[in-house]
Amino acid sequence: MKILIIEDEVNLANSIEEYLEVEGHVCELAYNFGEAKEKIISHQYDCMVVDINLPDGSGLDLISYIKEQNISYGIIIISARNSLENRIEGLEIGADSYLTKPFHLAELNAQLKSINRRMNFGGTNDIVFNEIKLLPDEFKVFIHQKELILTRKEYDLLLFFISNKNKVITKTGLAEHLWGDYMDSADSFDFIYTHIKNLRKKLLSMGCSDYIKTVYRVGYKFEEN
Amino acid sequence: MKLQTKTSLNFLTFTLFVFLLGIIAFYFLLRLQVNQNINVELEKRKNNILEEISSVSSGTKLPPNHNEKILMNKIQDGSYPEMYYGDTIIFDHGKQKFTPYRQLGFEAEFNDQQYYIQIFKSLEETDNLIIRIFLIMTVLVILIIITLLIMNNFTSRYAWKVFYDTIGKLSTYDVTIKKELDLKQSDVKEFDDLNRVLLRMTKKIKNDYINLKEFTENASHEIQTPLAIINSKMELLLQSGDLTDKQLKSVADTHDAANRLSRLNKTLLLLAKIENRQFPDSSPLEPEKIIQKQLDQLEDLTFSKKLAVEIQKKEDCLVQMNPYLGEILFSNLVKNAIRHNMEGGKLEVDIMNKSLVISNTGSQQELREEDLFKRFYKASKSSESLGLGLSIVQKIAEVYGFTLSYKYKEGMHAFTIDFSSAQV
Repeated sequence: MKILIIEDEVNLANSIEEYLEVEGHVCELAYNFGEAKEKIISHQYDCMVVDINLPDGSGLDLISYIKEQNISYGIIIISARNSLENRIEGLEIGADSYLTKPFHLAELNAQLKSINRRMNFGGTNDIVFNEIKLLPDEFKVFIHQKELILTRKEYDLLLFFISNKNKVITKTGLAEHLWGDYMDSADSFDFIYTHIKNLRKKLLSMGCSDYIKTVYRVGYKFEEN
Repeated sequence: MKLQTKTSLNFLTFTLFVFLLGIIAFYFLLRLQVNQNINVELEKRKNNILEEISSVSSGTKLPPNHNEKILMNKIQDGSYPEMYYGDTIIFDHGKQKFTPYRQLGFEAEFNDQQYYIQIFKSLEETDNLIIRIFLIMTVLVILIIITLLIMNNFTSRYAWKVFYDTIGKLSTYDVTIKKELDLKQSDVKEFDDLNRVLLRMTKKIKNDYINLKEFTENASHEIQTPLAIINSKMELLLQSGDLTDKQLKSVADTHDAANRLSRLNKTLLLLAKIENRQFPDSSPLEPEKIIQKQLDQLEDLTFSKKLAVEIQKKEDCLVQMNPYLGEILFSNLVKNAIRHNMEGGKLEVDIMNKSLVISNTGSQQELREEDLFKRFYKASKSSESLGLGLSIVQKIAEVYGFTLSYKYKEGMHAFTIDFSSAQV
């Protein structure tokens, strides 16, 4: 995917770029409104990660501009503004997703993948990782062509892992993905452990290899042996 | 009491008092005047009588009675007063009643005999006249007072119009709404001054409010951005495969601490926003649905603690409030009830028409209510929570005028929210 990252904080923009490029995406950076607009006019992108507060304008105006031009972009807003109105405003204007700073890069990556799947409507939506096949539209999982029944949380976990394969994912990142603001992360570490234990057991019982690695005291990693 | 009623009442009591004094004085003055007239008349008649007496030659009889009341008594021992005017009452046989008379008594000599002569003049007609004048005067004065009162009311209503307009607009004025205060011009200097001062004040308050709002938002924005950078760098660092376990652990701990800081920052910002009443729009919410949703999301928690959760909906309950704040209010209470619960404990939610009780089992001792809602108060030291959950609950309750109370009874810690005192 070709992604335009619009973020005035150079350090943050570079982190995002670094994380996403490992995933095989092509990233371009714009540090302000003018630069971003220029790039939007002269180049074609699949997806845009945009900060709302830019030094010389609002990211929302950029989104409006894109919608006016009828270009189909996947749009993710990253903003420090956390209120419901800001969220609603952003999504109403046509963004696909809204992340509040600070966010986990793994979360951003997962969101981008999900948007990418939605946009490639003509092609297949299935996510395949070796013997594992996910049908995101139906929330179904197949191992060696046989269906595996998972709980909603286990399914979310698996999808998040596959979206961020070969990456170390912290427990906090997992907790926030699974429960959002509902649970304080400290409360949830035990449950992550339980869910992962169950998921691993189910996967192994279907003859799946053990991809989930524990990174001691940090988090987990989903990787090929 | 309304200003108009107050001034009217003052006016009325004062005029009534003056009127009462005036009318009493008027009555006595009138009486005096009438008496003087009658005295003059009686004097004339006295002179007539004396003239007649002296014109009649001695030895003859008394002149004929002029069909008027005259009393003549021989003076025996000079015990009669020399001459005096006075009031008396005489029984009138014709009308069969006592009527008031004015009398004049004087001495006269006739046939070498001293007589004391009393002549009378009926006061009936003049009394009637006085009463009539008196009544007419009273009616007139009352009419004048009423007209004055009405006129006063009208003119003051007109004069105070701008004032009442200002009061009306001030009572509906809301700093959080962008609309400026628009006050009417007045031709009364005081009201114009008042409006000018009010406009200046509200403008200042609004500016301060906007500044504060911008400051809290900007501060939060400024803090979140460096935190975002820290987090992203930490996450990238974690991906590099050449870290030792020790280094990995340090990175992860830093990452967690930054996350915690970010949560704290978000929560404090939320508290500030609630205090600034920045959640104006509201809609009717069903607490039962929100609580049910929260419990579904927190199923892992209730399940692992083996809690017996029971929601009892005794009556329908609708609460008018901001949906976002509503969710925070109930979710914080539910989370609190789960976190401080014990293994195999109970969590009960009772929903009444105008109140809601969330009770849970937990530690065996009563908590101090005044500490509970303090910021950063933690009942258990081990808890990783921020200690802000209940302060947020209390702030939200405060904004909407709900009453929040805590009770410990039969091993259950119960939090009650009473919606009945809600400010709409």
